[in-house]
Parts: sequence; structure tokens; C-alpha cells
Amino acid sequence: MLFQRWFGLNALRERQYKKAPEGPLKSFLSTPFPDPKTPIKDVQLLALDFETTGLNPKKDHILSVGCTPMHHGVIHLANSLHTVVNHNIELERENVQIHQITDTEQAQGQPLEQVVEQLLTQLAGRVMLVHFAHIERSFLQQACLQLYGMSPVFPIIDTLQIAKRRFDLSDTAYDPSRLRLVNLRQEYGLPPHFEHNALNDAIATGELLLAQLSRLEQGMGTKLKTLLC
Amino acid sequence: MSGELAEISTFIKASNPFDTLPDVVLEQMSKQVQICYVRQGESLPPQGISTPSLYIIRKGTLSVINNDQQLIEKLAEGDICSLFCETGADTDIQVQADEDVLLYAFEFETLLEICTRYPYIGEFFTKPAAERLSAQVSKINEQAVVSSTLMNRAIGDFFSSPAITIEETTSLQAAAQTMTERNFSSLLVVKEQQLVGIVTDKDFRRRGMAQGLAITAPVSKIMTTDVQMIDVNCSAYEALIKMNSRGIHHLPVSQNGQLAGMVTITDLMRQESLSSVNVSSMIAKAQNVDELAQISDLLPKLQISMAKLGTSADNVGKTMSAIADAFTCKLIDLAKAHLGNEPVPFAWVSAGSQARQEQTVSSDQDNALIIDDSMQEAHRPWFTQMAQFVCDGLARCGYPYCPGDVMASNDKWRQTQAVWHRYFAQWIDKPEPKALMHCSIFFDMRSVYGKESLLADIRQQMLEKTRDNTLFLAHLSANAIKLRPPLGFFRDFVLTDNGKHKNTLDLKHNGIAPVVDLARIYALSEGIEEVNTLKRLTHAMGTSSLTQGSGKSLFSAFEFLTMSKVKHQAKQLLEGEETDCFISPNALSKLDREHLKDAFKVIKDMQSVRQTTYG
Repeated sequence: MLFQRWFGLNALRERQYKKAPEGPLKSFLSTPFPDPKTPIKDVQLLALDFETTGLNPKKDHILSVGCTPMHHGVIHLANSLHTVVNHNIELERENVQIHQITDTEQAQGQPLEQVVEQLLTQLAGRVMLVHFAHIERSFLQQACLQLYGMSPVFPIIDTLQIAKRRFDLSDTAYDPSRLRLVNLRQEYGLPPHFEHNALNDAIATGELLLAQLSRLEQGMGTKLKTLLC
Repeated sequence: MSGELAEISTFIKASNPFDTLPDVVLEQMSKQVQICYVRQGESLPPQGISTPSLYIIRKGTLSVINNDQQLIEKLAEGDICSLFCETGADTDIQVQADEDVLLYAFEFETLLEICTRYPYIGEFFTKPAAERLSAQVSKINEQAVVSSTLMNRAIGDFFSSPAITIEETTSLQAAAQTMTERNFSSLLVVKEQQLVGIVTDKDFRRRGMAQGLAITAPVSKIMTTDVQMIDVNCSAYEALIKMNSRGIHHLPVSQNGQLAGMVTITDLMRQESLSSVNVSSMIAKAQNVDELAQISDLLPKLQISMAKLGTSADNVGKTMSAIADAFTCKLIDLAKAHLGNEPVPFAWVSAGSQARQEQTVSSDQDNALIIDDSMQEAHRPWFTQMAQFVCDGLARCGYPYCPGDVMASNDKWRQTQAVWHRYFAQWIDKPEPKALMHCSIFFDMRSVYGKESLLADIRQQMLEKTRDNTLFLAHLSANAIKLRPPLGFFRDFVLTDNGKHKNTLDLKHNGIAPVVDLARIYALSEGIEEVNTLKRLTHAMGTSSLTQGSGKSLFSAFEFLTMSKVKHQAKQLLEGEETDCFISPNALSKLDREHLKDAFKVIKDMQSVRQTTYG
């Protein structure tokens, strides 16, 4: 049951809190996750997106982080964040073409430790909102493991999952590419956006969630637990 | 990394009035954006936003509705909704999402800071549509003043004063002596200090010498009695138009109702060699329809040059109408040369845009004949042949036949005065749909040739019948407000959605015609004789039908719309296309689009007033 997993999640958070080293991770774990029965409008969310050098968290790196808080159905850009991470590595040409972050820009970025610290501060008490949770969750956990020796739990809402659940309800087969952020946005009547910029993608994900919620019977009153992945 | 919100600032930049802001400020603004989403059917402000805010629509459409559930306005992508900038804003108005809407919200506080730095932004939100529009129109008029000379100068700059007059009993010889001494080509004739006529060199030749009159005969024998006058405050351009359309070269000028002097066509031409003058004189000299048709090829060029000169649409309309008048007069003369003089008096009247002096090159012909009641059956063929000749001639000169067959060549519109009286009485007493259609055409009539009093009588009786006739006016109003200006006009659903003009804006039917209709209704309810829309509005302003303020707003809206039409047509003419009134919103500058919307708002408001007056 999702419900149990959630309680398990909060319990796990408490156990991890006790073991965590002093510092940003511990303070993140000290804040309880919101009650799963809370209507989504009252939940503090953080729409998040990573640009990475690849898909394998063990080998690849987080290149940039974009995030923006959401509350009461409003995306607040004033508190949004966009940072490039400097790993002192040479970027692969074909990747540069996708995320458009150059070596020079990387060199001007912040060290991973600093970025993760900022991110954990932002995430405390908030639910992470991403499109295709696997990337953000595994890369962030891997980074924490590397920095603090421990990979924490994160409550996550995944717009891809929400869409997939809806598609799965109908018996007909669907083209998996329909689940891409761009395609889903189009399906929900949202304007096209500039892809592969972490902040733009984070905002785009936030907007997509708003559109998805408007199609749900209870809209903004939908309970957090029904949305978690 | 800067500019990560470039997408958002680009979008904001595309929205008037923010397009005037420097990029740095736009970037700052985009960092303050709050993005929200309103479900179909829900109202603004969005739940999550509690502070007074301004909204820009990123996607979707909103309807602004009043307490009576009437649609006031539609807002679409790129539109701004400023109704929630204050707390406790207008409670009579509701803003609803027609479909799911994605919005960018700005806190009013943040916006205020920008407004103090960039006052234009603040003005945009505080000034009502009508005011913004009139500011725009006067700006355009200023440009016109700079680029043209004649039209915005009063006759006062050109006429010769004082007026030289002679008594009607003066002998021909004495009159000729005075003219020679003064080196004048004309003199005004008075009787007991009242102007009774005018004599020109030509009169001496044609009516004096040629007829063998004695040099002792009084000038009253040779003078022209139907004297046109013009007020000293009219523009020089208006004088020119009056002369062109009447084929006269001298015009007495009055000041405070008193005879003040005389203006001649040479006085005006010396100032500016205007092509319209040349066209008119060419028309006057033409020998046959073929020559006239050739001259008519010049009209598109004339309209282009006027549009280029910055001539106001009002003057373009007057000039083109005067030329149409000149063609008509010449064609009637040619017909008479062929058929002989008319058996009984008649008046050739123009209707529609030519009558209102709002014609442009693409206008159809609308005309009719009012024949003196003394007409006998035997006289009918003369009028039939004359009318057919003139209408065919006009068609050859580029004035297409009226699709509704409202032409003098149609038996129905070639009738005696008595029949016309009956027509009007019927239309007014039984305002059925067809009658209302005829009303809108024939209530705008102007006599172009012949005995003017034939039309004047009809108009007078008609105005007596319509004035204060609330039932009839209610029917006319209901009919007039059927043509609605488009509310959110760059969305497909409010644009013309079929055929050749898909996704365009019909400037004529959605903008110009509604103002023409409104002005006609004001004129009819107030007994105003004018047929020109701007003049009707001017005269109706301050009456119970139209307040000063609303009148001015409609005036500006009409000027702006007709100017847009003239500019649009000039462009089409230059590209060798056929002219029309269909504008693609994409072809408009963002600013023109905003001004057009303001114009539509003004019209919409006035239509609503009409609707409530005659419910």
C-alpha cells in the first residue's frame, strides 16, 4: 500500500535522521514530510530538474540544477534557482549539443557540495516534483552518498507517472513517446517551452502538474497521497 | 547563468505596453512572475494569489462578464487583465476561464515600482481605451499636418478679402469695368445687402455677348443664382472638394454668417498642385466614356499618394467621393448630349458611402433618381436610358455595379418624388428587415446633380417622421447592433472563418459599418440632416442621444478604423492586388493591434448603450 510506504518513508526518514552526520543532510532529514492526507494545494512543492551527462548515476554527473517552489497552485519564480555544477571534467561534444552547457560555463559553476546543500535546504519540508523521477532521485541519492556517506529518502510526485496511470486506465496501447514532457504539455494544451534547460524544464513540469490537477475531479483538493509515486 | 528565463521575458516583451521596456527590466520582471493555472469555468483571481496582481494570459481565453451575464470582453493569449490590480476591485465584473488558462501574475506592488520608473506603463493601465485611442489619433493627425499643407489650413489663409460686390441692377458694362480695374475674374451680386448671385468672365461671354444682351442690361440677367458658400473656418481642402464636385472655380467665403470674401481654385492650386484637382479637370474635359474610363485608372494612384502624404481618411473619403460625383455629373452631361435635355426636373442622388463622402477606390455604386412629380408616362424612357447610360459608365470607370441592385438603372429606385415619399413612409411605419436594410442605404442620400430641392423635401419629411419615433429607432438600433466588433480578434474563432478571407479581420463590417450605423441613428433621432459620419457625430455630440465624451470616442474610433482601411488599401494597391477591408492581424504592428482593440472597445460600449436605451 502506498499509504504504508508513506508511513514507512516518514519512519525511514526519522531513522536516517538519527544516523546522519551533522550538516545539511541531517537538517533536511529533521523536517517531517507533509501529512499524506493534505490537499495538494496546501503542500509545499519544489519543481526540480537536472541536466546530466548521462543516465547512469554511478558514472555520470549532474551538470545543472533548476528548481522553483510551488504552493497553492502558484509557481513562484522569485524563489527559483538555476545553477551549473562544476565537476572539473571535460564535457562530451554530443552532450553539449543537448544541454547547451559549455566547458566554460561549467568552469564558472559551483562545486557539487554547495549545490546539493542548497538543494537540500530548499527541499526540507517540501515534496519534490519531477518528470520521470528516476533521474533526479537516483542522481541526488548518489550525490548524497558520495558527499555524506548516506542516501536519503525523498517524497516525490512524478508528472510522468500521473500521466502513465491515466493512459494505463484505457485499454488501448499508446506510444510511449507520448509520455515525454514536451508531448504531454502539448496534450494538455500548454505552450511549447525551451527544452533542456534545467530551470525551464522544472517550470514546465510545474505547469504540467497544474494542468493535470485541473483534469482531476478534486483538482487542487486532491490528496497528496494519491499523487505520490 | 543569466537569461534562463528568456522565454518568459520574451513573452512579456510581446505584450503591449511592456514592449517598450528595456531588456534588463523585462528580465527583472520575469523573475517576479508567479505562474498559475485556472480551470475552465473557474473565476479570477486564482485561489493561490491573495495580493492585488496583474495578469498576462500565457495560454487560453478568459471572458469578462458583468452582473447581467453579458459578455464585455474576451481576453486571449498575450492579453493583459488589469482588473485585479486593486483590492476590492469592481465587484460588478467577473472574469472567467473559457478553457483552461495558464497565467503569468505580477504583484501590483512590483508593477508600481516599474510604473514610477516608466510612466508610460502606468498611463497604459490607468487611461481608458477611448483616451488612449484619441491620443493615438491626434498623434497621427499631427503627422498629417506636417506632411500636408492644404488640408489642415483654413480658407482664411487663401481667400481674398473683402468681397467685391455689385448691385444686381448694375449694368453689364459697369460690372465689366469693375472687374477689369480690379483684375478679378468674378464678382458677387447683392440685392439689399443679400448675396443673390455671382458673375464670372464666362457668364459675360455665354449669357451676355452670345445672347446679344445690351451692355446696359443689368447683371442679374447673366448671373448664376445658385451660389455655394463656404465658411472661413473650413479647411482649404474642403473648399477644393466643394469646387471639384460642383465643377465651379469660385467660392464666396462667409464669416459669422456675413459675406467676407472669395476663394478661387487658382488660389488653392497655387499653394499645392494637387493631383485630385487635375483629375477633376480631366474629367470635366473628357469627351466620352472611353476617356473617362482611362482617367479612372489614375484613381488608385491618387489614393496611394494621398495615403502616403498622410492625408486623413476623412479627406481621402471626401476627395474620392468628390471624384465619383464628378464622374457622375460628366456622365449625365454626356447622356444629355445624346438624349437631349431632361423633360422634367430630376435629382441624381448618391447613397451609401459616396453620399456620406466616405468612398474609397473599392466602393460600389449606390445611386437613385428622384424625378419631379410633373413627370408623364411619355417621359419615362428618357430617364430609363439616361440612368442606364450613367450606371454603365460608372461601372466602366471602376465603380462596380451594386450587388443589391441599388442603382438608378433599377426601376424601383428611379421614381417620382411622391413615390419616394411613400417609400420612406412605408419603411418607417413598417420596419421589416428589408425595409431596415433600405433605410440604412437611403437615409444616407446626397444630391449630386439636378434639382436639389427634390431630395431636400424628402429628407425633411423623413426626419420629421423619424425624429422621436422610438419604435422605429428601436428597430433600427436592434438591426445596427447585429454587427458586433470582434472582441479578442486575433484568435481564430472571432475572425472570418471561411473562404478566401480566412483568419482575417473584416474592418468594414466589424468596425466601420457599426459606427456608420450608430451615427445614422443619432442623426435620425435628433433630426440632423448631415450624412457624413464624422459630421453626424459632431452634430449629435451633446444631445440626449450622445454625450460629448462618447461622441469624441466614437469619432476617434472611426478615424482610426478608416485610416487603417486606407493604409491597408494603399498597400494592396501598391502590390497590384484588389482592394478589400480584410486585414490579417499578423500584418498589423502590435501597437496598431492594440489601438484597433481600443477602437472596438469604444464601439462595443456604445452599442451596449444603444441596446439599453431601446432594449
